[in-house]
Amino acid sequence: MKYADPEPSAFASMLGGLIDANIETSRAKHKDFDELDASVGIWVTDIDEGVTLEFQRGTLVVHNGLTPKRDITIRAEADTVMSLSNLKIGMFGMPVYYDEVGRGVALKLVRGRLRIDGMLGNIATVNTVTRIFSVR
Amino acid sequence: MAVKAFSSEWAEQFKDEVNASSVYKSAARGWKWTVGLVVEAEPDKKFPESRGVVMDLFDGTARGITVGSAADAQKCDFVITAPYTRWKQVATKELDATKGMLQGKLKLKGDLPTIVRYTKASQEMTECTTRVPVEWPDEN
Repeated sequence: MKYADPEPSAFASMLGGLIDANIETSRAKHKDFDELDASVGIWVTDIDEGVTLEFQRGTLVVHNGLTPKRDITIRAEADTVMSLSNLKIGMFGMPVYYDEVGRGVALKLVRGRLRIDGMLGNIATVNTVTRIFSVR
Repeated sequence: MAVKAFSSEWAEQFKDEVNASSVYKSAARGWKWTVGLVVEAEPDKKFPESRGVVMDLFDGTARGITVGSAADAQKCDFVITAPYTRWKQVATKELDATKGMLQGKLKLKGDLPTIVRYTKASQEMTECTTRVPVEWPDEN
């Protein structure tokens, strides 16, 4: 994993560290990581900060802020971003939306408090990123 | 009656609040690590020496919360460090702890997946802090 900026932001460091730790401890997540080729932006609306995660089939470059030409951009408040990380992964590697955390995330998606730009054309990528991101 | 910020009396009341919280008890099930809060000195805010809060938390219970040196807190499994002013902002709900960590206003050391898994527990702990009436040194 690399950081694009000489001084990664706190958010970039946290997210990079989280993903690093996740793929170290899970073979399935490591496999997802090795196969993922996508640029994913995450913008935390209530702190006006974001990162771009450039997944390049086994490597990750973390940028401060949103870089151009992203495949997906997730926009949500801080607690929702944390909830995304707490989504359980169920059968066929799909996020679980029927438990308390999952229902909360689904509701926010429906209400527009969680936006995933580019989701419709990249559902598989969204699911893969969710799996890598998840601490469950 | 208000207690002095980051005093032994404060620690005792904080521990009582945590143990009275059913939300915390449920959200922190399975937690088995110590947490240290390092409150960095700000002499111009009448907080001349850094202090450490050591929290012995286990499976939804606060077994002990004590105030000592920053060095003691730094030996914990998880360590959150911030200046006095930031901790006051957290305790008075001016700063959300999760946002604070994402912004680097509160510096976190420890296993990130674990801390993320227990976000709800840490949010409730922050709520418990806000329930303790406090005398702030820079307000006297």
